[in-house]
Amino acid sequence: MSAAVATARPALGHDIRALLGELMKLDHITGGLVVAPDGLVIAADLPREVEAEPLSALAATLGRELELRGPQLRRGTFPMAQFASVSGSAFLGSTPVGFILLLGEPQADNDMVRGALRAAVGTVYRALAR
Amino acid sequence: MAFARIWHMLGGGRRRRPTSAQMFRQAQRLRDDGRFEDAAELVADALIREPGSVVGHLLAGSLHMTLRESGQARTSFERVLALEPTQPRALLGLARIALEDGETAACRDLLSRALARYPDFPEARALLDVARGLSAGAEPTRPVTPAPAPTPAPTTIAVPASAPAGRPVPMATVRSEATDAPKELTPAERLRLPSESREALFMRPDATLVFAEPRGPRTEAVAARAVKLARIATAVLARAGFGPLRHAVIEGAAETTYLRTDDAALLTLAFDRDVTAATAVSHLERVWGSCRSELA
Repeated sequence: MSAAVATARPALGHDIRALLGELMKLDHITGGLVVAPDGLVIAADLPREVEAEPLSALAATLGRELELRGPQLRRGTFPMAQFASVSGSAFLGSTPVGFILLLGEPQADNDMVRGALRAAVGTVYRALAR
Repeated sequence: MAFARIWHMLGGGRRRRPTSAQMFRQAQRLRDDGRFEDAAELVADALIREPGSVVGHLLAGSLHMTLRESGQARTSFERVLALEPTQPRALLGLARIALEDGETAACRDLLSRALARYPDFPEARALLDVARGLSAGAEPTRPVTPAPAPTPAPTTIAVPASAPAGRPVPMATVRSEATDAPKELTPAERLRLPSESREALFMRPDATLVFAEPRGPRTEAVAARAVKLARIATAVLARAGFGPLRHAVIEGAAETTYLRTDDAALLTLAFDRDVTAATAVSHLERVWGSCRSELA
């Protein structure tokens, strides 16, 4: 179903890949990626028909736009957002490293996915604080 | 062997200063470990030694972006372009910053330059599509004041809690008890905004405000940002193989914003974090129905 895609950053990337792998186990999640704020893909696991580079460029742009919504916001201070269409949802989490994007089918349990993504964001913060 | 030992004793084996190329590689390793500030410092040191390094300035730009230092990132990318005018990553980096700053025309120009040199550049192509969409109408072109309240017209969009069951009550017509004259309702009253709502914005796809509560000097800018956000989100959904944006939930530090949209309008309601998602979505759908009726 999914095609494993490239990673650009081996050290932190290893942890991030593991984290993404856990999120990919959620029901009705069909793909995900982690992208740096400059649009560089850190890790991705996407359906074969979805191209990683353009999606990551747009996900980083969306993440930055969310961070900039309020002038008081500093990096990584919007924890989570969900964008839904009738055919599926994109869940976006913000961390200091970059943004985590998950793609979900309409049947996905939105509250559960948002909760898991929130927890993943917390994990990245704790890993960087070590 | 003996010569090597003597050479070492004379100091020939003393560790050499790392080259700038080694420093850039080390900086990349630090970045990969999440030590962004350390990496940025090392790159800055290396660039003092080798100020003409395209790799170094690109790395500096990337690190500044990660640290959310857009101004410094812009300087780094501009230095790259001074050395290599069609460097695609620098053009893309500057285009991203221009888009963040609302400089849509500059963003389009930079991406077009990148694509003219490298037509197979999917990231640039994706961003250019967004930038073109934004310049097609998302920028508010004039300050807009809310339309005067229309003559109250009976509508059956919802039944107030006090209405007898099964009997729709005209929403926009109430009588003042003192004068028995029709009292003009404020938009907030007509739309029955929930008391928990901290901010409500209703706008057209070109960011023209139809209604805002409360309304302040930054309201139109906030509306323009909401439309921009919706367009970028729609582009993300399209790249993921999904349809256009219809709903969004954006958790902030202090409040959560709920968004509802279609091809003709966009509504956002912001609530304190302690309002449950179910309650907020129920309010959102009800207000959305009222707003769309008003617009029609």
